[in-house]
Amino acid sequence: MQTINLHQLEKILYHVEKPGRYVGGEHNQILKDWDLVRTHVCLVFPDIYDIGQPNLGLAILYDILNQPPDILAERAFAPWHDLEAQLRENNIPLFSLESKHPLAQFDIIGLSLPYESLYTNALNVLDLAGIPLLASERGSEHPLIIAGGQACFNPEPMADFIDAFVIGEGEEVTLEFIHAFEALKQSGADRKALLQSLSTIPGVYVPSLYDVSYAQDDTITEVTPSNASVPAFVTKRIVSELPTHPTRLIVPNIETVHDRLSIEIMRGCTRGCRFCHAGIVSRPVRERPVSEILQIIEDGLAATGYEEIGLLSLSSSDHTQILELTKSVYEKFHDRKISVSLPSLRIASFSVALMDELRDIRPGGGFTLAPEAASPRMQAIINKPLDDAVFEETVRTIFEHGWLSLKLYYMIGLPGETMEDVQAILDAGKRVQAIGRQIRGNRVRIHLSVGNFIPKPHTPFQWYPLNSNDELQAKLDLLKTGLHRTGIKLSYNIPDNTLLEAWLSRGDRRLGQVIQRAWQLGAKFDAWGENDNMPLWRQAFTAIGVDSDFYAYRERGLEEILPWDHIHTGVTKAFLRRDLEWSKLGKTRRDCREQCYACGILDAFADKRPVSPLVYWGCP
Amino acid sequence: MSNESIRIRMTYAKLGNLRFIGHLDLQRLFERALRRTNLPLRYTQGFSPHMRINLASALPLGFVGQAEQMDFWLDQVIPLNEISSRLRTSLPAELILKDLQVIDNKQPSLQASLLSSEYEILLPADIDLQILKDRIGTLLAQDTLPVQRRKKTVDLKNLILDWQLLSVSPITILKISMKSSPLENGRPDEFLVLLGIDPADCLVTRTKLIFEEEE
Repeated sequence: MQTINLHQLEKILYHVEKPGRYVGGEHNQILKDWDLVRTHVCLVFPDIYDIGQPNLGLAILYDILNQPPDILAERAFAPWHDLEAQLRENNIPLFSLESKHPLAQFDIIGLSLPYESLYTNALNVLDLAGIPLLASERGSEHPLIIAGGQACFNPEPMADFIDAFVIGEGEEVTLEFIHAFEALKQSGADRKALLQSLSTIPGVYVPSLYDVSYAQDDTITEVTPSNASVPAFVTKRIVSELPTHPTRLIVPNIETVHDRLSIEIMRGCTRGCRFCHAGIVSRPVRERPVSEILQIIEDGLAATGYEEIGLLSLSSSDHTQILELTKSVYEKFHDRKISVSLPSLRIASFSVALMDELRDIRPGGGFTLAPEAASPRMQAIINKPLDDAVFEETVRTIFEHGWLSLKLYYMIGLPGETMEDVQAILDAGKRVQAIGRQIRGNRVRIHLSVGNFIPKPHTPFQWYPLNSNDELQAKLDLLKTGLHRTGIKLSYNIPDNTLLEAWLSRGDRRLGQVIQRAWQLGAKFDAWGENDNMPLWRQAFTAIGVDSDFYAYRERGLEEILPWDHIHTGVTKAFLRRDLEWSKLGKTRRDCREQCYACGILDAFADKRPVSPLVYWGCP
Repeated sequence: MSNESIRIRMTYAKLGNLRFIGHLDLQRLFERALRRTNLPLRYTQGFSPHMRINLASALPLGFVGQAEQMDFWLDQVIPLNEISSRLRTSLPAELILKDLQVIDNKQPSLQASLLSSEYEILLPADIDLQILKDRIGTLLAQDTLPVQRRKKTVDLKNLILDWQLLSVSPITILKISMKSSPLENGRPDEFLVLLGIDPADCLVTRTKLIFEEEE
């Protein structure tokens, strides 16, 4: 098989910004002999290298796929505008970083879709590779296009373009999938037979094998498998315990957004915040034991030479051995001239104590807390209760222990929110500033980072409409005006960006045509900047004749069939409805490690629950 | 830890894909490669210690370097063959270790003593040797060769020390020696542009760094 013309590539690399994005050759890259390998997989993260390369999911799949000698996995990312223009002008197809083969020559392309704003980029990547965008227009001569990642828990908007989605955790299903693919290919199965057969692998969703019918009012009446051997619904895949962590991570040659050794210390979260998509789709909790984490750090540092490590999870302070972990990390590594970051800490003095353990090896800068809501009423609605006294004491401790800068995450546009609730965010910011100044004087820096709430699929809030741009803007204006000349920094999202993300995350498969049209009109890199693409999207909706408000601004019926209902996270719809009811009553749930609320996970994954008491799931 | 640090001078080649990695990125790449060696590296003192390394001269993006140099410091004496074997396993495949030497700490820094650089430029195959020779002659007969660099104008003529054309059909190579001090740094690609040649059509290799003779 032919690589692209390398001489031509070198020539165009002189004319682009950061050519290091496109050449590979990093330490720990794996380059196999193309001709000695049976199955060629290209892992594509459809954002620029600087953002995509640090993604831990990509590193995990790269590691798994490159272990068998007869499979190779290479990487490709979305080219920035300058290289794209050069590729198109010179008729060079998009290529992999390792061997520089055109994407079209791979057997499988695995698209990583962790967030919805990458959808147009994904189409652009296929187009740059010269691969037909529509699954229906591809045949055996084209690579199989598969996709996975958090956004795929609602695969429907991308259903037209993807041959098969892998729902949930990829560690076990990835090789099962490849081996089934190899056997089918060897048997001479055509594309249709191949997909039919792959659809029977648990966790694999082949959208073309489902028919969706709609009522007069555009809601879904039925989602039916096209034949009896296709499963009626697809349940996500999970692993019983966290698998071996990769340590020979690729060390980028150019600076990336998270330039560090990232280690997943825990998966899942037991807190049950009702807005949180990750909190539902990543259940149950699985912890990595301290001894294993320490070994990963040791091996990872030796293999990469990184100077920073990031201990990642959805809620670090909830790891049952977190104090022991921070103590041991300090003892073992404090003289290695590295820094350690421990994000996602709960609001409690305990979290400050954890950071204290890491004393002189934590990265400089500030402390970050995420109350998300400021008024007790709103906190009860989202199930993130926070005692005022605890909050103040935590803030006090942070400043007393030497931090000067504190960043607070809040959300606006939450269900049932009033201007008083937004005012409470403002008041909280000022109170925190007053406490800081009292302890550390005028040097303290307070930063409010305010996100716009999007009712995400599979959460108890999935039925709610999105706040209109006007509502969000009014709330932002209240914050901006209120913070004027206070010295408190405010960062926020543009309502248009939120609206686009809401369409793409809450849509059904009729959105496919809109996405394709928006891309044809020039939309890509949709999360960048001030969103200049919005007029293109509105134009696309109008052209295709789809009402965008239907997806964003409509309160959905509790009995309605939602576009993602046939994708199961293990958490039942009955539980989500009940939790929504509780939210309306202002009733909160405690950490579900203290009491089981029967969300459905234990039933759905009864066969996966480890018997060994050493493997921690948190579920009582 | 003794207070006296050991200064090691490394000569290396930068090839292939790494030609497209810039100077700051290369510096970070060296820091990580050195960390992987597990050698007793010297760090700066103070609140946020940094590894002590010192690269002689930035190599422009796209250029091959055949004899680039950098200094790093160790806290204790380690045999050079030990350092060499550890470095060879920790450097990326396209950074090639060519030589290691222990250098007296009293010697000036690489940047401070760098005088000039020698380059070999592989020219496009379709170039006409005679026309090129004439063109170079005409250019260098001028009093000045001003080129624009961001906000200032530089006289390229003053930076060119020597040149020579070598041709073995179909290969034509321009050898050129240019000043390389921090204040006066010649760029062979700028000269190519004056000659009407697109540097992207050439392969530029820096073959040698020339330093001030030691006392």
